[in-house]
Amino acid sequence: MPFLHERLANGLDVIAETSDSAVSTSVGFFVLTGARDESDDLWGTSHFLEHMVFKGTSDISGDEINRRFDAMGAAANAFTSEEDTVYYATVLPEQQDDAVDLLARMMRPALRAEDFETERLVILEEIRMYDDQPPFGADDRCRAAFFGRHPLARSVLGSTDSIRALPIDAMRDYHRRRYAPGTMVLAASGAVDFRALVAAARRLCGDWEPMPAAGRVVRDAPRRAARPGIERIVRPQASLGYAVSMVAGPAEDDPDRHAARLLAILLGDSSGSRLYWELVDTGEAEHAGCAHDDFLDAGLFVTQLSCDPADVTPLLARIAETYAAATREPIAPDEFDRARNKLASRVVLAGEKPRRRLFDVGLEWAHRRRHRSVADTLHIVESLSLDDVHRVLATWPLDAPGAVVVAGPVADA
Amino acid sequence: MKQTLHSATLGNGITVVGEHLPDLESVAVAFVVDAGAVHDPTGKCGVAALSGEMCLRGAGERTSRGVVEAFEAVGAQWSQGVSSTHATFTGAMVARHLPAVLPIYADILRRPLLPDDEFEAAKQMVLQTLAGIEDDPGHRTISALRRIHCPAPWGMPPEGITADVESLTNDDVRAFLAGHLHARGMIVSIAGRIDWDDAVKRLDDLFGDWQPGPDAPIIDQPRGPSSRHVPHDSQQTHVALAWSVPPYRDETSYEATAALSILGGGTSSRLFTEVRERRGLCYTVSAGYQTRRHFATATCYAGTSAERAQETLDVILAEIDRLPGSLTGEELDRVKARVKSGLVMQQESSGARATALARQWYHLGRIQPLVEELERYDRLTVAGLESWLAAHPPRDLSVVSLGREPLEVPRALPA
Repeated sequence: MPFLHERLANGLDVIAETSDSAVSTSVGFFVLTGARDESDDLWGTSHFLEHMVFKGTSDISGDEINRRFDAMGAAANAFTSEEDTVYYATVLPEQQDDAVDLLARMMRPALRAEDFETERLVILEEIRMYDDQPPFGADDRCRAAFFGRHPLARSVLGSTDSIRALPIDAMRDYHRRRYAPGTMVLAASGAVDFRALVAAARRLCGDWEPMPAAGRVVRDAPRRAARPGIERIVRPQASLGYAVSMVAGPAEDDPDRHAARLLAILLGDSSGSRLYWELVDTGEAEHAGCAHDDFLDAGLFVTQLSCDPADVTPLLARIAETYAAATREPIAPDEFDRARNKLASRVVLAGEKPRRRLFDVGLEWAHRRRHRSVADTLHIVESLSLDDVHRVLATWPLDAPGAVVVAGPVADA
Repeated sequence: MKQTLHSATLGNGITVVGEHLPDLESVAVAFVVDAGAVHDPTGKCGVAALSGEMCLRGAGERTSRGVVEAFEAVGAQWSQGVSSTHATFTGAMVARHLPAVLPIYADILRRPLLPDDEFEAAKQMVLQTLAGIEDDPGHRTISALRRIHCPAPWGMPPEGITADVESLTNDDVRAFLAGHLHARGMIVSIAGRIDWDDAVKRLDDLFGDWQPGPDAPIIDQPRGPSSRHVPHDSQQTHVALAWSVPPYRDETSYEATAALSILGGGTSSRLFTEVRERRGLCYTVSAGYQTRRHFATATCYAGTSAERAQETLDVILAEIDRLPGSLTGEELDRVKARVKSGLVMQQESSGARATALARQWYHLGRIQPLVEELERYDRLTVAGLESWLAAHPPRDLSVVSLGREPLEVPRALPA
């Protein structure tokens, strides 16, 4: 899978990982902006702006954007996270030019006041939708409790109040500052005509004004929860109790992030893991899992539990004991091998889908100006040893006091 | 679009279907057995789901843990699920591991141990899933819609009913599996980097002498149309509608799915445009198509805040009403483009292809080349869709709402 890169004069990077066998082409703009780049009065702007980008440019209406993507047969969408805003489309190769053309024009949206007011209603519905669903906001609240005053404390959607209060001028200003060519990447994967991609980028993005790199506050990775202990969210209508807990783990630039991912599979994968056998297989928990999340300057081990509301506290204690045992006693080689095989298999299976590769390739470049092929990642995973996992456990104790948020029908669950 | 498609029938009637996708590293496999929830006896809703779970808890020489560890020893991703029609066991793996994985499925399907000491845990697992569904407003809404609209037993929830599951015993599971877990009607589907002849030989060695069991006919009971409100203390009210359309095996199912796609299939669809983009009424709104072998259902779904739910329902009904007589060539062209890229891109996923082939065999009794399916869509015309809609206008709608307050369902539903 050859990797190609070209930088325009204004700083916009154009990259592609091409594949001879792919039958589709995925293209996307990766914008280095997200919830962590917002201030209190801009809370939720990155995500709201992502919606507004689909509402059209000065000469293309929002309806026209929807019609054009559907006419291409595109699977087109976008997402916003704490650190990134990504717009993408997967199309048949003959539609590459049309998809790039539309996406590139969308990056300079009109941000019309009337659309802004209508879309504000949609965002408020999205907030209500998640608020009505498990884990009833426990995940966002837990991140806030873990990160405290660190920029990663901010949730992506914003609050009902912050969205209601946001003026359109603030969004326009945010867009001007954050969607500069130097902090954006145009990435493609699959059956890519790279020469055409670069030509389109020059034609459509070449006149985007270069700007000084927008600031991003990067701090030392927090090693412990800002507000350790348990916080509670009461939802009388909930049938189950939900708990989310977070402790520190390796950050994105830490070579141990792969070992951390393997460890999370070993301890808390959705099947065959220690938490699975301890709590899910026995029918005591609806779900009990562990995952490793990483950011530019921080990493997390996130534990999620759902079970009978009365069992939340005792099962959290059992999870803590499972983690303590992993730290205390050496891991058996065959257990380690199974987890590594699962991770390696996931790398291969995800790697054969160009749509999935777009995100890995685009985010890796946006964050680290680096390309890693599937083979590179597979080599790293296959080189992992038991020592690596034991080192992660020693450096990042999962049984450390973390931030915990419990949501459920009663306050004392 | 060149495809390498295969099908074979083992001596005992098991169908094996396959597609060779030489550019992939992976193989996906699906074992589809006629042991779906539609066979749940009255008062035992959930026995199929519980039986599917019990199959994994020890099989052949393997313990419950041994089954899972055998999959994971080669990094195989596996899953088990029970729908109304089938119990399905699937897996995806790096191609060279297929020979190691097939015997695990043979144990699960042919030699489940059904140990008594695993039964309570399995039952609790099913009950946990049911409790989790109580907290999923979208799932509950669609489930309530199926129950009032689809003929019994098809509208019953495949995941079970809590009160029924609580009273199930391991003998219920044994009886269910004795009656339904056998070779009759079984479909095995494999796709990806496969060696077809070798795979069929292995499957024949593992399954060729498995006996087909008795036929288990299903007697349909009439249901729907009807309306229901499900009280739920949530900020959003969820609305879902259903009406009858031809099943996938019917020649006019292409007209039906194209018309539904124009109504609510993409971001340029009528519902997305009018409900979300124009009015900002909700984040999620769509139309869909669910087919059984002998009937199918069109559905619309939206979730919105309580005070705007009535307007959302009214706009959806108006759009359904407006559909006949208003279709445009551009809309149909967009449907064709979306179908084409969707079908072509399936070729990049062994799992998607394995599932699609099994689905085709179940519904059509054959596997359909992509080219043929594309040609059928290409032949659709606005005039053809309109005449189909004129003959089959959306009527006799079932409506479900879930939320704090019931909605007013207009008497003048399209009929």
